[in-house]
Amino acid sequence: MSRIVRALFISRKDVESYYSKPPLVTWGLLFPAVLMLAMYVKNPDTYLVVAPGIIGMTLLFGNTSMAAIVITWEKRSGTLQRLILAPVTHQTIILGKAISAAAYGVATSTVLTLGLVLLLKMPMAAPLFFAAGIILGAATFALLGLIIAVRVREVFEAMTLLNFFRFPILFISGVFMPLDILPAWARPIAMISPLTHAVELLRFGISGQSWFPSPWIPVLVLAAMLTVSWLAAGAAFRRHANQ
Amino acid sequence: MSAENVIEVRGLVRRYGDLVALDRVDFTVRRGETFAYLGPNGAGKTTTINILAGLLHRDAGRVNVCGFDIEHEPVAVKQRIGVVPEESNLYPELTCRRNLEYLGQLYGLGRSERPKRSGELLETFDLTEKASVRFGALSRGLKRRLTIAAALVHNPELIFLDEPTAGLDVPSARALRKLIQNINRRGTTVFLTTHNLAEAEALSDRVLILIKGKVVTEGATDEIGRQATGAEILSVVFSANVPVEALRAACPAVVSADITDEKWRFEVANVHQATAQIVAWAEKSGFTILEISTEAPILEEAFMTIIKNSSAGSEVRR
Repeated sequence: MSRIVRALFISRKDVESYYSKPPLVTWGLLFPAVLMLAMYVKNPDTYLVVAPGIIGMTLLFGNTSMAAIVITWEKRSGTLQRLILAPVTHQTIILGKAISAAAYGVATSTVLTLGLVLLLKMPMAAPLFFAAGIILGAATFALLGLIIAVRVREVFEAMTLLNFFRFPILFISGVFMPLDILPAWARPIAMISPLTHAVELLRFGISGQSWFPSPWIPVLVLAAMLTVSWLAAGAAFRRHANQ
Repeated sequence: MSAENVIEVRGLVRRYGDLVALDRVDFTVRRGETFAYLGPNGAGKTTTINILAGLLHRDAGRVNVCGFDIEHEPVAVKQRIGVVPEESNLYPELTCRRNLEYLGQLYGLGRSERPKRSGELLETFDLTEKASVRFGALSRGLKRRLTIAAALVHNPELIFLDEPTAGLDVPSARALRKLIQNINRRGTTVFLTTHNLAEAEALSDRVLILIKGKVVTEGATDEIGRQATGAEILSVVFSANVPVEALRAACPAVVSADITDEKWRFEVANVHQATAQIVAWAEKSGFTILEISTEAPILEEAFMTIIKNSSAGSEVRR
């Protein structure tokens, strides 16, 4: 049986156990929907400027948090050890966990986007780039959540560590503030933030415009970041998963 | 590795900082036997299981499990072993059946094989009625049973049981011991750690005793007692209460005496001399001997002697 099939079994079990629970689904949808609605009510003409940022922020917080909660919970309950005792490689476990966390992010973002398109008539200039932003962002953020969570045993420890990078990058990744008006010293930092590239892809998907000269730049950079995150998650698992 | 051995460990070392948890541990486990791996708390039993099961890296030594080195081919080893840790570790939110089927998926059982195998295990472990109950809602005894069932989902060659009856009431523990015997009778090698030495004695073919990370003795369960204590047990029932101090004074071959339900258990240095001395003393003192027999020292006595010897610095490694 291939690694992919076993990873899908792990993902399916996680969706069944954690991601399909009503509180999670409503949290993942209601929070960004209410935020977006507030922006729309404030000014229907400018809400599109922040829409990509809010979707990106939802992906960042939703996916890193969910992956972290699942891993720390399974570490504490011993079920992660049960998984490691099974004849599957660490890569298979990481793939399974990342697929389910990313699927949660993709599903909630898709429902949110459909709602925005249908109810608020949000445009969709380049749907494939928009989808690439959602998928690459969700996968990268899920892996970042796993990398942090596998080092600790408590959810609050994972959240504290995650917040060290999540909150700062919110302000430099074009979520609330366009990249053009960032101070010069902050721009190089913005370029190494995966959220910047996810948000710019979503922006290009919605409006056909992006800070980057070509939408392929954030696609390639996010793909590279995904690869680095995958390797880092493998190293973190090897070192910390059994502790 | 010899085909008749399912585990071969040579020079195994594991350190936690300055603490040497396992110090050049050597042992083999033969295919089809029940092997008890005993020791006081902190001896290194769980560390050993974790290394053999691929949960922990070793610092030195060779470890061969089911023909493979766990460090180099962990998946091949894991496909052939089942592990029941001290704390049950199945998914509390899943039902008993779903737990078994999910593990069947991870162990590569086919689509049609999974429900069949889950059904068989639920029946064997008397859990069919609980098939749709969440694992988290089961009693401790039923959780242990399902955890053992889950470790057998792929018909492993070898099963590790870490304190399988710890914390269970007497009927649950007894039922579980019967299940362990049945698992072994069906051909699965059992590697058992337990603090219940009567359990180890009843279940195991061979015993290894580990103290502070070092193997202090290893051998057939009934040999360990004799080897460790250097004594045998003479069991005697007298017609009336005997003054034991007078008896001991008259019988120098008797090392210690203990009474349970009117039956005296004398630890003796030489069984023939002691028998002659006790019989002579009884005749002289007017007591009739109703029953007299020899028995091997129970494992618990051997264990205590070994611990005493070990803290005094003497080793009894075979």
